[in-house]
Amino acid sequence: MLLSVIGHYSLILGLCFSLIIIFLSIKNFKNSEYLNTKILFSSFFQLILVSLSFLCLVFSFVFSDFSNETVFNNSHSTKPLFYKISGTWGNHEGSLLLWLLVLTLFISLFLIKTKKQPVKYKILTLLFQQIIIIGFFVFLIQTSNPFNYLYPTPDEGLGLNPILQDPALAIHPPILYLGYVGSSIIFSSALAATCLNMISKKWATHIKKWVLISWVFLTLGIMLGSIWAYYELGWGGFWFWDPVENVSLMPWLALTTLLHCILVLEKKQVLTSWVIILSISTFTLSMCGTFLVRSGILNSVHTFANDPGRGLFILVFLFSLILISLFVFFFFHKSTQNELNNFSWLSKETSIIINNWFMMYFLSVVLIGTVYPIFLDVLSSQKVSVGPPFYHKLIVPFLIPFLLAMAIGPKLKWVKSNLEDKLSMILLLIISVLISFFILKIFEANFLINTILISSATYLFFITFRDFFIKKFNNISQNIAHFGFSLLILSILFNSLFSSEITTNLKVGETFDDSKTKIFFKSIKQKEEKNFKSIIANFNIENSMGITENLSPELRIYNQPNIVTSEADIKTTMISDKFIVINVVQNQDYFNVRYQVKPFMLWIWLSVLLISFGGLVSLFKKNYE
Amino acid sequence: MYGRKVKLRFLFILLILTTLILTVFLVLKSLKENVVYFQSPSEIKEISELDKKKIRVGGMVKKSSIFITSNEVKFIITDFKNEINVTYSGAIPNLFEEGKGVVAEGFLKDRNFFSATKILAKHDENYMPPEVKEALGNK
Amino acid sequence: MNNKALKITTIAIFIIIFIVFYKALQDTNIYTPKKKSNNEIPSFSTNLFYSNKKINSSELFKLDKFYLLNIWSSWCVPCRTEHPLLMDLTKNKKIEIIGLNYKDKKNSAENFLNELGNPYQEIIFDKEGINAIEWGAFGVPESFLINDGKVIKKYIGPLNKELVEEIRLLIK
Repeated sequence: MLLSVIGHYSLILGLCFSLIIIFLSIKNFKNSEYLNTKILFSSFFQLILVSLSFLCLVFSFVFSDFSNETVFNNSHSTKPLFYKISGTWGNHEGSLLLWLLVLTLFISLFLIKTKKQPVKYKILTLLFQQIIIIGFFVFLIQTSNPFNYLYPTPDEGLGLNPILQDPALAIHPPILYLGYVGSSIIFSSALAATCLNMISKKWATHIKKWVLISWVFLTLGIMLGSIWAYYELGWGGFWFWDPVENVSLMPWLALTTLLHCILVLEKKQVLTSWVIILSISTFTLSMCGTFLVRSGILNSVHTFANDPGRGLFILVFLFSLILISLFVFFFFHKSTQNELNNFSWLSKETSIIINNWFMMYFLSVVLIGTVYPIFLDVLSSQKVSVGPPFYHKLIVPFLIPFLLAMAIGPKLKWVKSNLEDKLSMILLLIISVLISFFILKIFEANFLINTILISSATYLFFITFRDFFIKKFNNISQNIAHFGFSLLILSILFNSLFSSEITTNLKVGETFDDSKTKIFFKSIKQKEEKNFKSIIANFNIENSMGITENLSPELRIYNQPNIVTSEADIKTTMISDKFIVINVVQNQDYFNVRYQVKPFMLWIWLSVLLISFGGLVSLFKKNYE
Repeated sequence: MYGRKVKLRFLFILLILTTLILTVFLVLKSLKENVVYFQSPSEIKEISELDKKKIRVGGMVKKSSIFITSNEVKFIITDFKNEINVTYSGAIPNLFEEGKGVVAEGFLKDRNFFSATKILAKHDENYMPPEVKEALGNK
Repeated sequence: MNNKALKITTIAIFIIIFIVFYKALQDTNIYTPKKKSNNEIPSFSTNLFYSNKKINSSELFKLDKFYLLNIWSSWCVPCRTEHPLLMDLTKNKKIEIIGLNYKDKKNSAENFLNELGNPYQEIIFDKEGINAIEWGAFGVPESFLINDGKVIKKYIGPLNKELVEEIRLLIK
């Protein structure tokens, strides 16, 4: 009760501080020899207020204060403490508050950390960032106040959707938001730099840190969501090309492209328009994602029941941001005419530009696949969904040149170069083609496109692996990230090619037997937990080599809300995952059993970790090359 | 003759244009091939010709219509006006229950029988896919 | 390249996207069914909340009277806000209020009624949410004004003062 009042008023006060900051900034902008310390203080104060408000919500959840509507709707007194806390951002209102918190946190960090840049630039960045912050404040207070008061106070809450009660999903949103919101800093600072016409090498070096930070978080955030989908949704897949997943992939693609463009800009005054457009689109794509997920206009397996009324606000807000940035871009940006001159086909920047074009292509494929159903519904009111085959068909073939360019590109020098040590590179290419050919021959999965794809991924793998030992190419962070990427593509390929799956319905005591695998449904037992009942099944699985494995998947029947979830049992080894999940069919004796062997599952996660580790290394390394 | 730079630039623009046209063509083509249409049982009854395309059917699982054997599940999807029999073998999502909304993806055998390859799960029991809502709302 | 044309096209494209998204948003709202008038009420047999007795719909809704079927649940927040209005409506003797308790636990529903009062003549206990589907309801709260075995008007979402006034006028 008291907490809600404090939380609510600190939000309103925080909004007031936004106005104060804007007022001070405009005043400061006119005589800008040094940054007014009042601005700094107000920003910190705003941060403190938002954190206070956030803490109030966290404690309302911890103490199960059901007079707060958000707590009532999303919590339950029997929930473990960890999920009470993570429940804070597991819902619409709380997650928006978290957005706001990260927004204010980042702008404060930006103000402290940015020392060598002109004061005018800092103030303008702050101004643009405050526009976003105000938008979120108004959105929170107006349409989704997390501190709505309930009277009379209910005795018990409705509980958090059990499928969300999971450690990976508890930390997934904060990390993803750090990535999304980090891109807001890039957005504001790119706009500020455009206004002051200072998109330059110096600016690139300065903004690169922020690009890297958000990129690392975004990568990790996507991975966590994917891990969660893998073991909690019971499909055994890790990426479904579902709209909600696509929506997090799009900013990642834009951000990755931006990261590479910034590297070029750091060396040469080219690609300035590109950098600005990418900075703008990264953040707008993040916002667009929020809009599509929150408004419920997309039909996705991840969609939760929600309120379309809120969608309108985000939509208007999103498009005003786009219009502002377009205005800034068109009226302030003067593109240097000779951008394309002194430009050689065989140089590092060419290869980066080529890869950027591929990235943009991937981005547009994902974008079209995601929004096409919306457009078709509005224009012809036909309901469609775009499935994985669409994405596979359009993306997979283009990965081949993409991978090859990734292998060769970093070998080239800036401006103009000849390809060095051609011989060993060609040798490696031949070796990788042969290897992939034999792998596919042995496992009898011979498709031309797979052979070529695996060859190019193996090629990238070898080249990057070799480069770890060669001093001349000691761009270690890039090398780690590219090595990770080759590993990722390889593991995904092997995973999808060599996965096997058995789905069957079994009663207790029955055995499924095809010539390769025997699945024996040994027993079930019941267990009572604090907030759910669980049915634990026991399976003996014997494969063709005569090795038996004991797996016990679980069914959880949560009491509040009343939902059944399946907990898969996964035996993970370096080579493969054995994945089993059961489900009960209403009023029937049969259990639906799904058993999968998924090779190299662990490597998918490891390689994504490696990719983001590459980003981290680059962040902490001072000046390379 | 044009200078080398102009020539290069011309080539560059030409290259971009061709790729763009090619891309647009590719995207549109595979969109056409890989889009899955959503239909309600009543709409299926009105289809004039059946084709082999994958579709999605949505509605409610009819009460006490689920019948399960060791290798398949049979149930009826209804929009309270028309019904369709569905056979399915594969993994069943948690929120698949009688009297709840369901979306099944697969192929039509004829106007009354549908062979599903996938049943779509939802995370939220209160969430009803907009298509299903509309299919039910039009009754 | 013509710079101005480029600018205008870009802005035009974004405006078109905006319009489409806006339309799509509107569309998500029309999924709630249109006002049904003069529709027969579904016939069903169901369990009563307190007596746990089986009852047929024809016994529950007599032909010569006005009824308000109110779908509610103890876990539904807007139900709390509309509840006093229902209590107020019980003073009007021309109408009987029938409750449909949706996907609820019996004791929490009882607590709810003890706390806020019981405006219902009878309560249908719909633990599985099956009856609500038969009525074509999409959520809680929802109310149906019934006369002569027909649904005259359907109210989606909580009732407010104006709507209750409208009901009073309709049953005059």
